[in-house]
Amino acid sequence: MNELSRAHIRDLMSQVLANQGRVLPDDDAADLREIGFRSLDFSELALRVEDATGEELNFDAPGLRRIATVGDVLDFLETLQRQ
Amino acid sequence: MSDTPLVPPSSVVLVSGGSRGLGLAIVTDLLDAGMKVAAFARTVTPELAKLADAYPDRAHVGAVDVTDPPAVQAFLRAAEERLGPVDGLVNNAAVGQDSMHTHTSNADIARIVETNLTAPLQLTRLVVRRMLGGGRRGRIVNITSICAQRGFPGLVAYSATKGGMDAATRSLARELGGRMLVNAVAPGFFASEMSAVLGSTQLDQIVRRTPTGHLTEPDEVVPVVRMLLREHTNINGQVLVVDGAASV
Repeated sequence: MNELSRAHIRDLMSQVLANQGRVLPDDDAADLREIGFRSLDFSELALRVEDATGEELNFDAPGLRRIATVGDVLDFLETLQRQ
Repeated sequence: MSDTPLVPPSSVVLVSGGSRGLGLAIVTDLLDAGMKVAAFARTVTPELAKLADAYPDRAHVGAVDVTDPPAVQAFLRAAEERLGPVDGLVNNAAVGQDSMHTHTSNADIARIVETNLTAPLQLTRLVVRRMLGGGRRGRIVNITSICAQRGFPGLVAYSATKGGMDAATRSLARELGGRMLVNAVAPGFFASEMSAVLGSTQLDQIVRRTPTGHLTEPDEVVPVVRMLLREHTNINGQVLVVDGAASV
């Protein structure tokens, strides 16, 4: 599987936010609620990762609900790619 | 007055998904009410086994996957040999969902549709064929959900199957021309289900929006199922919502 690096995922996340006129903070501890990154933004990011890797990323909502920071998003998608 | 005879109360009821939660509560209630009950689920829980031991003459239980038609048919035949002809069906077995539609795999969508829609339609067909073939009248209760009528994120495929069963309920009631009463019971979210996926703040918010001040409990749904199986009401082709008016 063509796995994306954490930096690449971060870049895609930055693009998702940039499309909405927002900026992704450098700090992985940044709170998603404060930067306005919502569940559908996560979904868009996951689909961009899928598009880049050519692999579907399916997951249940409970895992998504535990995500609170930028670092959590990157951790989740990194882990998901390896499953 | 029409000369169509009334559909008598069910006395031998087949319950799918009867091993836990609402299904187990339904099985328990029907047995306590003196009825004969054949209940199956993928696994027979200790609670269901205990009921079978407590009512050896009136309970027949087994480990059967509702998506396995030959196994379901064999279970039904065995149950009828032991308890007598089935004249009531509660379609309760179902699988849940908690994932955005975009990120639910095609395999999972197919599994939800197979378990929650295809399997109960096939089980209904099986039971109706046996009842009609035996010249019997009977009653069918489909357990659906408020999701069939209201939108909830994370439940797209699940809601579609429950809406499908609500629609089937109406058409079947028409098709069976009064020889069988076919209804659905649509509970709101159970407290146990909601607490598993929502935080206490969100739970409190839902409860505040519910006029009765609490989420639905299985014990509040059970009497409605029993009424549809036992009472003379002329209710047919209906979906009865049990949610404390949360959805109104």
